[in-house]
Amino acid sequence: MKLLRGVYEGPESHGILRVAVSIRGLHTVLRALPGETYFPTLYGIRERTGEMVPVTLSPLRARPEDSMAPGNLTRDLSGVVRRHPKTETVILARSEAALLAGETIPLTSLPEIEGTGRAPKLVTFSWEGLGIRETEAAELVLEDLIRAHLQDRPERSPYPTVNLFGPPIFGPGAAAEYAEAERLLDLIGVEVNARVPLRADVGDLARLPRAWANVLLYREVGESATLYLQDELGMPRVTTPMIGAAGTGAALRAVGELCQLDPKSVQRAIWAELARTAKLPWYARLEPPETFRGRRAAIFGDFTYPLGLGYALAREVGLEVASCGTYLTHLERDFLFHAHTFTEGAFVEDDPEEVAARIEAAEPDLIVGTQLEEGVADSLGVPFLPLCPPVAGRPFVERPLIGYAGSSVLADALDGALRGTRTEAAGEAGMQWTDGALQEVAEVPPFMRGRARRLAEERARQQGSGEVTREIFLESRS
Amino acid sequence: MTILNESGIPDVLPPLHAVNGLAERLPGVLVVVAGTQAEAHLVQSLPAVPSPNLPPSPRNPRVIFAVLDPYDPPQQGLLASRIVETAAGLRGTELVLVVAGRTAESLGVDAAFEARLVARKLDLPAEVVNPDAPYEVPGTLSTDLEDRVLAALVDLCPKRRTSDLVDTASPAKRGGLFGSLLGGGRDASDSSQFRPVVVLGGAFSPEAVRELTAELSRAGVEVAGAVPGPGIGDLPPLGEGTVVAVMDPNLTTAVTVAEKRGATVVRTLMPVGVDGTARFVQDVAEEAGSRTSEVVRARSAWEDLGALRNRIRGKRIFFAGDTGLEIPLARFLADAGAVVLEVGAPRLDRRFLAAELQALGPDVDVVVSPDYRGQMKRIDEARPDLVISSPGLHLPLVARGHLCRSPRDFLRAGPYGYEGARRILELLAHTLERAETLDSVNL
Repeated sequence: MKLLRGVYEGPESHGILRVAVSIRGLHTVLRALPGETYFPTLYGIRERTGEMVPVTLSPLRARPEDSMAPGNLTRDLSGVVRRHPKTETVILARSEAALLAGETIPLTSLPEIEGTGRAPKLVTFSWEGLGIRETEAAELVLEDLIRAHLQDRPERSPYPTVNLFGPPIFGPGAAAEYAEAERLLDLIGVEVNARVPLRADVGDLARLPRAWANVLLYREVGESATLYLQDELGMPRVTTPMIGAAGTGAALRAVGELCQLDPKSVQRAIWAELARTAKLPWYARLEPPETFRGRRAAIFGDFTYPLGLGYALAREVGLEVASCGTYLTHLERDFLFHAHTFTEGAFVEDDPEEVAARIEAAEPDLIVGTQLEEGVADSLGVPFLPLCPPVAGRPFVERPLIGYAGSSVLADALDGALRGTRTEAAGEAGMQWTDGALQEVAEVPPFMRGRARRLAEERARQQGSGEVTREIFLESRS
Repeated sequence: MTILNESGIPDVLPPLHAVNGLAERLPGVLVVVAGTQAEAHLVQSLPAVPSPNLPPSPRNPRVIFAVLDPYDPPQQGLLASRIVETAAGLRGTELVLVVAGRTAESLGVDAAFEARLVARKLDLPAEVVNPDAPYEVPGTLSTDLEDRVLAALVDLCPKRRTSDLVDTASPAKRGGLFGSLLGGGRDASDSSQFRPVVVLGGAFSPEAVRELTAELSRAGVEVAGAVPGPGIGDLPPLGEGTVVAVMDPNLTTAVTVAEKRGATVVRTLMPVGVDGTARFVQDVAEEAGSRTSEVVRARSAWEDLGALRNRIRGKRIFFAGDTGLEIPLARFLADAGAVVLEVGAPRLDRRFLAAELQALGPDVDVVVSPDYRGQMKRIDEARPDLVISSPGLHLPLVARGHLCRSPRDFLRAGPYGYEGARRILELLAHTLERAETLDSVNL
């Protein structure tokens, strides 16, 4: 048991829903408590589109046989088939409460749709379990869905094509990420065969083997699906995160190689982009070196973004990456392996308060993180860039963070965050703290500590006291 | 009026969403949500007031999640000791609420025991709130957690002892004796029959609760306080001899607890709309021992609303159903001249709402446990002027060109009392006006 102030990831059913709702032509039946009807609302808040989500709740009730109201899983599944005759595949997801109830899945196939003689496919997941979290579940679902829909191997396309494995819904700027990758691939003469999972349809899943290679934009979700395609069909994959100008260039060159393109023409396309859209290298050259010298960044997030951003900030921009962490505990080894190439402070942690303590200990001048790190940045009084999922804001204009356009977005963000924040703290240092006051500070949750400290020092100054005593600290908090 | 049970899956907001809002509303409360990743994620991702345009509410340091490991359930007492440690780091904690539902239970957490332990160690009240406990009438309302937290608060109110009752009664008697001699005894003897009133509900519109309290005092009623009040320490005494005036139609658990303590719960209309408020004030006053007539006041309130009523007269309104407040709102709007097409009720406790249902006009249909797909179809067919939507249908309905407001918008505006009636109509009138303005833009 852990006492947490927040969570970075949802439960396994949430991961299933995110991938399933990303793909068209699927309908998900969520077996859960009657109070777990959150998904349509959350979808509305996050995506702000007018679409109805293809998710139906099958509530766990005490005695579902007593009435015709929903609650009987068999009946609810056939109800979905009846009500949504265009559905090609029905997915059964179970919430943690349903898993704890220990129900078995009553069906292995679905009834036929009236008048067509066609029965939708039922996909259930044998790996569903309580220890699995959102991201890992999303990864496994994508693989299972591809397995379920892959039929005879279609012909490889006559011209070079690739599949994009990107983020599912709720990913920040997800659609823009795919669009930027597609634009860049088009520039080097590679067509996109399918984008998975966002807005793919069931047909796209079957068509995946037409492509020459798989490009992973978001490794968290695409990893095991692309590994499966590699093992089963020998499809090569590109895993370099397309973040920053260097990462994007490396990924494009790798694609070019796999698609047997002329390396010179690929390089020409990359140079043209570096001259036109990619502003991160330009920003790094324009800014005086003092802007970056000795300045420390702390990065925290999932997998692709912190690694890609960490690499870009450390190598392309020249900030010192003091710490870089992930909340994806199941990717611990991989993450540490990659993160150690640019930082000494790599860590894996899923308790926001521990993360706050780690970031605070790194004494950063810039924090790049998820929505939960905003409070830490606020309490330390350093600039904050919410670039890693989960993020709170849903802008109407989505901006990519990957590719060359993404590198410019990053340059803009850094420019805004690092400008003119150099001198604070220097003049205010030197306030003494008594032991009693320090003990009190230790009681405050880490993500609020910096703010509490600032308030107490302000209070001490108001009172004309040279040091912060326990009394002053307590007064400032009440 | 017809009542139809559709046996569907109603679209309501998960009751757990209220955790953030309640923690903000009740300063001094530490809310511990015990469960799995799912509960923590749900509470964190749904803002206190869901609206497509609001960012999630900032994290509240008074909400913490006890995420249980399903493969290693905690030993007895571990949860309690961790809560105690956390509470020590937070100043000014007055109450610990342990929200523990079905998952915590199936992982073997005895929440009641842990709460007792917390209470003993911290010397503070600690209460268990179970969001998944079934209601007598099947169905879920988005306000269920609020109901249960209020029930816990009612339980925390100091009890009125029978001896107190005697104490308050006896000086009055003496007063009667001297009073007849001194000539000033009338007031004193009158107040002896008065019973204190506690207002229950309106958790998210404290301003409106104050207005309503003022309204009751004007009618000569002594209002002892409100649940929830300004703080945990300020809870009014509630027990035998107390009259409880209920403001929300969905507080069945809280009312049951109040009745168990011997308080008299006034079964009347909710104080929503002009007639509702008038009946409410009159009935509460009568129960409290003061006779008053609200007829004049109601008539003048209706007259004051004349201009606003003209703006919504004949407008066709559809209630999708989410918070339970839809039935009183529909009653008022029908009285004010709007045409109510349908009222969705995810859960309908007919006994509890008997007065409301009787007062609902003859042309209003109530659909119990509505199916959201059926609702969508009926809305598309009827094309109402305004839909009071449910959370999941809001955006899809707006996308289909319907004008929508969330029932939460009314709660936030404070729909109670005579002033609340004005606020309801103003909200509707502004909504319709703005829609017209936007429609007239040549895009």
